[in-house]
Amino acid sequence: MKRSLPLWNSFFALTLLLACSSPKSLITKHTEQFYTIDASLGKDSLMQAFLSPYKKGVDTIMQGVLAYSDVPLTKAQPECTMGNLIADAQLVSARKIDSNVTISVVNYGGVRINFIAAGAITRGLVYEVMPFENKIAIVSLSGLQIQTMCDQIAIRKGWPIAGLSFQIKDKKAINIKVNGHAINESIVYKIAINDYVARGGDNFEFMQKATKRFTDILIREAIINYLVAINQQHKVYHTELENRISYAE
Amino acid sequence: MQNRRSFLKKSLIGGGLLAVGQFPFQSFAKEDVKRLTILHTNDVHSRLEPFPMDGSRHQGEGGVVARMALINKIRAEQEHVLLLDAGDIFQGTPYFNLYNGEPEIKAMSLMGYDAVTMGNHDFDAGIEGFAKQLPLANFPVLIANYDFTNTVLEHKTQPYKIFNKGGLKIGVFGIGIELKGLVGEAQYQNTHYLEPIQIANATAAMLKRKESCDMVICLSHLGYEYEGRKVSDLILAKQSENIDLIIGGHTHTFLDQPTILTNKQGKEVVINQVGWAGLRLGRLDYEFGNFSRKNLAKAHSVIISK
Repeated sequence: MKRSLPLWNSFFALTLLLACSSPKSLITKHTEQFYTIDASLGKDSLMQAFLSPYKKGVDTIMQGVLAYSDVPLTKAQPECTMGNLIADAQLVSARKIDSNVTISVVNYGGVRINFIAAGAITRGLVYEVMPFENKIAIVSLSGLQIQTMCDQIAIRKGWPIAGLSFQIKDKKAINIKVNGHAINESIVYKIAINDYVARGGDNFEFMQKATKRFTDILIREAIINYLVAINQQHKVYHTELENRISYAE
Repeated sequence: MQNRRSFLKKSLIGGGLLAVGQFPFQSFAKEDVKRLTILHTNDVHSRLEPFPMDGSRHQGEGGVVARMALINKIRAEQEHVLLLDAGDIFQGTPYFNLYNGEPEIKAMSLMGYDAVTMGNHDFDAGIEGFAKQLPLANFPVLIANYDFTNTVLEHKTQPYKIFNKGGLKIGVFGIGIELKGLVGEAQYQNTHYLEPIQIANATAAMLKRKESCDMVICLSHLGYEYEGRKVSDLILAKQSENIDLIIGGHTHTFLDQPTILTNKQGKEVVINQVGWAGLRLGRLDYEFGNFSRKNLAKAHSVIISK
């Protein structure tokens, strides 16, 4: 017995050492699956009760219909109907502040849902399209900088635009036109764009140095006002793809 | 295995050795299997309700009411569950515009989330906006590569947390995306972004070697994959050490099955991501065996099944 004690001691010491320096268990197997969350899974009544007062608040404000669209609005590149609505609405709002604004540009990543069915467009849907608190900025860019901007948009596979059109060829912008006219490198153009991009966000660094004016108009409010105005004229909203941006053959 | 074990037991009883050596013999014969179920979401973006029934692709899908029913059902079936989220809890529905993230955080507390990391959109109400909702969370916010010194989030988040689940030690840490160019400076203020791979490897090494974690999970908001060299979960996985699982987010990637890569040590790293908007709940069931030479060999060729 006496002789075996030191051996036991070193055994314990070794165990202790192992316990400190390495895990006790090893992954031997793993399996994976995913669940699609839908009504078939049932409803948790506790969660339903919790959500109910918030939902009432949201519904009261958000279920109001702003206007009706005769086409579904979808998000896609290089051009899309949802993007045309936003770019057009932003241009109209910006021109109320400065009538020299001729171009509107929307960052594609800022458009946050992919689809609105034809029919009623509610305030809630516009919140989902443009949930951010971003405001319209008016940026002055030379014709040369417009080319830079369009090239950047081309690299990003197309963003929603208004007052401007071009084609993408080899990740570059060609045939750039402002309201149908070829760009003039020496003219200064005023563009309406999200304040976040105007500050150089989405890696639009070249915008940082440009002359700009920050407005107090939320882009979301610009869309809401645009749709409400259409509805007040007893019109239905309509848009279609116009090759604002397309791929050159 | 089962046959061999019962055979051993029977022969012990038959041989009359029961009284002398039952305990040590049984513990030798028994393969001590431990189980852990990991449930995860990412980029839920304030989607508390299901998508409306409007003919869109995901109509009727998502929502916290159904998600909680599912989570509770799984918890009733599995003893050891970890529920995790990889960031972008905020922004995307009018709930966030009206209530600034309060119902999102409270709902996650009700569902019993164990830990989350931060996404870029969690800064959308400013760093103060996130800090304001944080007291409503009964789970920690894990982020190892944002330095919040001199911001309102200083000491309010933690780099990692170790969970003890049925005899297992599970180390979970968070990694966030570079905020510059993605979030306005007015929103993130003095938050300093630290190089993610270096921080991830240092944190994982500490969790595995010093803390002896049986498994290390990285909650990542880096994004699954990019054109070019921007750091992503794929890049992190390949350059990592000591990370077993990356639960990803940011790129809204729907992985129907996880991606499995080999890390710098030649060991397997699992990457998973479940799209966005709470449309899916991801589930990984892990089995652990004793730290033995046999299992060590097995660990290099883990069986994947659906």
